[in-house]
Amino acid sequence: MSDELQLVDAAKSGSADAFTELVHGYREGLFRFLLTRCTNHADAEDALQDTLINAYRYIGSYDPRWRFSTWLYRIAIRNAGRLRTQNLTELGDPEDDRADPLAHCIADSERDNLWRSARRILSDEVFAAMWLRYVEDMSVRDIADVLERSSSWTKVNLLRGRRALEAEMNETAGNTGSEAYG
Amino acid sequence: MDNFTRRLREDAATIDAEVSPQLETRIQASLAAIEPDVARQRRPARRPVSFWLASSLTGVAAALAVIAVLNVNDPDEPVVVPRIVAGNPAQPLEIPALDLDAEAAMLTAPLARELENLQADLKKAEEVVRGDVRIDF
Repeated sequence: MSDELQLVDAAKSGSADAFTELVHGYREGLFRFLLTRCTNHADAEDALQDTLINAYRYIGSYDPRWRFSTWLYRIAIRNAGRLRTQNLTELGDPEDDRADPLAHCIADSERDNLWRSARRILSDEVFAAMWLRYVEDMSVRDIADVLERSSSWTKVNLLRGRRALEAEMNETAGNTGSEAYG
Repeated sequence: MDNFTRRLREDAATIDAEVSPQLETRIQASLAAIEPDVARQRRPARRPVSFWLASSLTGVAAALAVIAVLNVNDPDEPVVVPRIVAGNPAQPLEIPALDLDAEAAMLTAPLARELENLQADLKKAEEVVRGDVRIDF
């Protein structure tokens, strides 16, 4: 039995310490992902907290046939979506740059961050699929599970997202021969 | 790893996602305050000692009652004991004659009538044929 499964079993028995150890390696990546999904930094923090609480509370429903990260990201996406829906209803201006958590978190760079472009030109789901694929290195099958979509949908949209971002990247670099959105 | 993938990873790494100590404290406090649903289901509810004592006494009383009912039976009630009479091997066992004819007759009567009818039909047909033969020749 792997260490992760042992920690899962211990967490299922009610050990908060085992759960903390279990999620420790995922926490930063999860928070980074949530920063790209939420409308502001505080929401991303709330989403991370809610994700970990929900994961601990419902760890009994975790099926070890899944990768733990897949299950965790699925909860995270739901929490981020719920918080964003609440905020859009309350604030009503999703395009406001001041609300963009990435604007404060991305270190100064000579070039524009591609993930900011991705957030601007891709839909939420395609953005998430691209992030899970290229940052978290998930398989198409795992991404499909996280997003509750088919593998075909995931493959097609990963390709479209990639084309769109490559076109954006080339355009930013001044390359006029960029590919059109897919 | 191609340039595009490398660029995406590098750009993701520039996003500062350090979990602040305040957030860490909040998360730990939240986790300490809850327990998994599974653990709650698995753990049996704690019951007082008097509950176990009462249960044990009830069980013992029920067992004594059953024993008493089984042993203090009505003595006048005759106990039916099956009697097995050993047969005399020298004397052959008599088998009662069964009235098989009655049922056989009852079952075969319609068939007998049917046979009579068929024979009558055959006779009639034979007469018709004989008459036709006489007419023709």
